[in-house]
Amino acid sequence: MTVVLEGDIIRLRGDCPVADAEALVARLQEAPGRAVDLTGAGMLHTAVVQVLLALQPQVVGPAGHPFVERWIAPLLPMRRSG
Amino acid sequence: MDELLAQFLIEGRELLQQASEDLLALEREGHSPARLDSAFRAVHTLKGSVGLFDLAPMGKALHAAEDVLDAVRGQRVDAGSGFLDPVLACLGACEAWLDAFERHGVLPPSAVEQGRQLEAALRGCMPGAEVPGLDGPVPALPTDWAAALAATQAEAVAAAQGAGMTVTALRYLPDADCFFLGDDPLALMRGLPELVALRIEPRSPWPPAAEFSPFTCNLMLEALSTAPEEEIRRVFRFVPDQITLVELPASAIATTTVALDGAGEASARVLRVDAARIDRLLDVVGEMMVAKNALASLAARVGAIDAGLGRALADNQAAMERLAGEMHRTVIGLRMVPLSQTFRRFPRLMRETAAELGKPIDFQIHGDDVEADKAVVEGLFQPLLHLLRNAVDHGIEAAPRRAAAAKPATGQVTLRASRRGDQILVTVADDGAGLDPAALRAAALRRGLLTPTAIAALDDAAALDLVFAPGFSTASTVTALSGRGVGMDAVRTAVEDLGGRVSLSSVPGGGTTVQLVLPRATVVTTVLVIRVGEERFGIPIEAVVESLRLPVAMIQPIGGGEAFVSRDRTLPLLRLADLLGLPPRPRQGTVARLLVVRCGDQPVGIEVDGFSERMDLLLRPMSGLLSGMAGLSGSALMADGRVLLVLDVPELVG
Repeated sequence: MTVVLEGDIIRLRGDCPVADAEALVARLQEAPGRAVDLTGAGMLHTAVVQVLLALQPQVVGPAGHPFVERWIAPLLPMRRSG
Repeated sequence: MDELLAQFLIEGRELLQQASEDLLALEREGHSPARLDSAFRAVHTLKGSVGLFDLAPMGKALHAAEDVLDAVRGQRVDAGSGFLDPVLACLGACEAWLDAFERHGVLPPSAVEQGRQLEAALRGCMPGAEVPGLDGPVPALPTDWAAALAATQAEAVAAAQGAGMTVTALRYLPDADCFFLGDDPLALMRGLPELVALRIEPRSPWPPAAEFSPFTCNLMLEALSTAPEEEIRRVFRFVPDQITLVELPASAIATTTVALDGAGEASARVLRVDAARIDRLLDVVGEMMVAKNALASLAARVGAIDAGLGRALADNQAAMERLAGEMHRTVIGLRMVPLSQTFRRFPRLMRETAAELGKPIDFQIHGDDVEADKAVVEGLFQPLLHLLRNAVDHGIEAAPRRAAAAKPATGQVTLRASRRGDQILVTVADDGAGLDPAALRAAALRRGLLTPTAIAALDDAAALDLVFAPGFSTASTVTALSGRGVGMDAVRTAVEDLGGRVSLSSVPGGGTTVQLVLPRATVVTTVLVIRVGEERFGIPIEAVVESLRLPVAMIQPIGGGEAFVSRDRTLPLLRLADLLGLPPRPRQGTVARLLVVRCGDQPVGIEVDGFSERMDLLLRPMSGLLSGMAGLSGSALMADGRVLLVLDVPELVG
């Protein structure tokens, strides 16, 4: 499982394939205000990134994958855990 | 055919034509930034849409042509540097490729090598290893989105360009259902070498969070890269139709305002309608005219019962008649297009032909605004192309012969059209050597086309007509062009198929003129409907001199036939049943019904079993199996749905 709910934080783990988009949407829609933690995430499928762009949850970084950190993170409301 | 492909072929040809015209105008009228821009835009647009199909060699060649035009626009290549030839050659090749692609769905195998050569010739126009100069004039940005993207990354772009790199802007619009197809657009972006900037935007505004669907891709991705365009295209090779590439001009970001296309692009108020729909409309109007014809006899019948009502109905019928006629003319007019649609293709082809044969030619077109039916205009392309090539190939003499004859070095070829009532007149004239009737007779003899006696009997005009005989060619040497054309007999056949005729006149030493006379359009024919036995036929009213009821006793047997006296002349009498090969029937009653028709200069009586009404009909030429039948000039649909065969009386009597 790559979409893991821990309290109010949804953690993405490893590479997130297209199927994770649906799981992520479900987690975000059932309780608005949850944050998404990318620190343990690998490469994200476009569909997953689209969820982050559309629903604009608070995102916790830095992202685990350099491409995501370099090109995607700047597009998201990012809070850096340090 | 796939609608997308059909549209692409139409637009592709228009764009090629536009670019050709612009370039030829440049050659004729000298430097014109507007023409140059127009040619560039056309080539650029075509190059963009070529990517949708499997036309890689064409795409590459067009790309090279686009680069050359852009360089000329930016004054990095001298406008007088001879860039026209390779660009025009490229446009010509593209036109041929489109034809091949339409017919076979693929490019010919030779296209790869041909494309490579075109590309090399085009690249040869460019200054060696061109790097856009920083101090040159500032070219306008090709598109607004690329400009906006570049502006957001001004520093990165300036740094890359400062280091001598070319920056390419990419816009990628993934299909909405691309996730189902297994696409991962970001993975492609990640594979993009030398990424300088990446932007991701929703294509349409995001819906409220509760309504968001993760399965539909609503993203637009834009990027800047310093990788060569080919490498970028390779990354997106499976989604070529979803990306747009634009090379950023150097120092583009220095321009703060975005230059948009559109100047000089007057939006023509034109509706593009499938020709088949117009034809359907024409059919309906034709049927309406037939239905209207029935009204006249109805009015007459009503008038016999009630004169007042009959008159009112007749008035109404007259109004209907006028309106139907006007409608018919209007619909016919919809099919009318200017000859320029065909003529405009010739200047570039003539330029090619002249270059191929090494003969300087001044080619003039007059009267290309004359209009004719679309079928006529389109059908004229092949025969005229052959005549024009002939004029350059066989008509215009080689330079030494022209010099010896004290003619200007540049040969004159003129294509001229004019309207003459319901016909159009098209002539192809050259100021070349002309045809020598004696040489034609000799050639006909050599080829055994006619017996020596028959040849000796030909006057000069008839000798000139020999060029239209199948298998006749006057060229003493076979040139590169002769091999791919059709003979003059094919020209004659093509023109006759359009309902026209060809003739040729020539002044030895002074030139040759070929004249084509063609109908402008299909027209309504008034016919008289007659009856033979149970069969009904139409006879065009202009062929009928008069209709007579004649006591049978006044018909005299003469020799093997019959004759009668009308207005103090003795006229031969023929029975239509015999002419049509119908079984002979004895005369009924004491009165014969006959028509006097013109056959050449001689009036002839044609006996029928009955006359009925006159009708305005939309005559269609015979097609298919019936087209070879002698004595029929066409068919028409009648109000009751039956087909009326219309007879060609002179041919029938023949």
